[in-house]
Amino acid sequence: MIAKVLIEKILTSVPLVLLYVLCFTELNLESVFYLQFFSFNVNAMLVYFWTLKRPQMLGSGHIFFANLINDVVLGLPLGTSPLTYLALALVATYIKNSTIHQRFSTDWFAFIPAIFFAYGINFIMIIKFSDLTISYNDIVRNSFFTFLFFPFFYYLFKTYSEKLGLDTDA
Amino acid sequence: MAEQRDDFIIAIRSALLKRGARQRYSLFFLISLSVLVFILDTSSFSYTKVVRSILNDAIYRVSSIASTPLKFSKFSIIKIADLTKIYNENKLLKEQLKKYEILEFDNEFLKIENNSLKKSLKLIDLGSTYYVESHLAKAILDKDSPYLKSIIINKGSKSGFKKGMAVLKEDFLIGRIVEVNFFSSRVLLLNDLNSKIPVTLDPNESQAILEGRGNDPLSLSYLPDGFTEKENETVFTSGKDGVFLPGIPVGKTKINKNGELNIELFADINQLNFVKIIKVIDERRTNFK
Repeated sequence: MIAKVLIEKILTSVPLVLLYVLCFTELNLESVFYLQFFSFNVNAMLVYFWTLKRPQMLGSGHIFFANLINDVVLGLPLGTSPLTYLALALVATYIKNSTIHQRFSTDWFAFIPAIFFAYGINFIMIIKFSDLTISYNDIVRNSFFTFLFFPFFYYLFKTYSEKLGLDTDA
Repeated sequence: MAEQRDDFIIAIRSALLKRGARQRYSLFFLISLSVLVFILDTSSFSYTKVVRSILNDAIYRVSSIASTPLKFSKFSIIKIADLTKIYNENKLLKEQLKKYEILEFDNEFLKIENNSLKKSLKLIDLGSTYYVESHLAKAILDKDSPYLKSIIINKGSKSGFKKGMAVLKEDFLIGRIVEVNFFSSRVLLLNDLNSKIPVTLDPNESQAILEGRGNDPLSLSYLPDGFTEKENETVFTSGKDGVFLPGIPVGKTKINKNGELNIELFADINQLNFVKIIKVIDERRTNFK
């Protein structure tokens, strides 16, 4: 019985563990798949999906803390990534609160303003308040491919939660 | 219209302030905290720099340990791929070795000829002497961001490292130190968008600035008027910035399909394990009597 509860707990913590792994380690899924040109943001999809479908799986405190670590690892000014992903979580929560019947298509298209809002904040913070230079093209390309790859990760996360018997429309 | 606006405000307020199931903090609180952290980090308070430095050291170490299994798997894949290339590479290397043997003889001859010409002109070369120390450091973290190209090395101010020091792989330039902590440092790689290095190339010693372009090949800017683009010209650091030593080999010129001049680096910056940091102890300028 205890083992079953423990396994269940471990399995429900997988999205959270993935968030920390992505922020903490060198793991870069796009480079694992050798997709340098098609750079996409798994972190954004993870935060958006779980905030929209089952917010208790990824607490906003964890989103803040994991991305604070991500800032240190990437050498960005502290607070840039937490603000970016919390903005994404904010849009996701807004969509969750204002949508009665959630469908894949609405979730996918609502991801466009969400990602542009979050990336916009990220871009303004880096350009206006730090000495770093970033490429506009890279940001647009990254947001486009993140949007394009979203269905794949959506079904991956949805299948995972269904296998666990979690209600993602809660 | 007013009703729609009210709905929007209610939904946003609820999203910002409501704490969901098992959520300890509201989004409003965390967003405010992020803004505060950002302001503190970008401000020039000395104590925030110390805190950031300690935080960096701690997180780099933990992150390096956490990345070990990934590093091992990446390393194994690269090694297996390398094994398949070895046969062809060996053949190529043998041919190159023959060429270099001939070049070495030429070099020896030129040295002797140069010395005899100097003697006949009665020139005394005091030499361009740079007393340098090179330190070996291990790349502990190289998380590849889509925007920033940098690595973390396991030595910092404790080993006497300072901002701006040149970082080499074997004998080729790969970047410079941009952040120094007590036990670790961040190296900005040459292909980063923020990397701009003064270089010299071709027999006319043309000066230019080598610019990183992220995932795209490196390029040269501020080339002199009338510069003719040629392939396979070696690019060296010029030392004009007063930061780098002159004459560190960087790469070779290449002309791409669109006729643009790119620089191909000598060192493979995607596979960094150990790097060399150059520390200038004393410098005596070239002087001829």
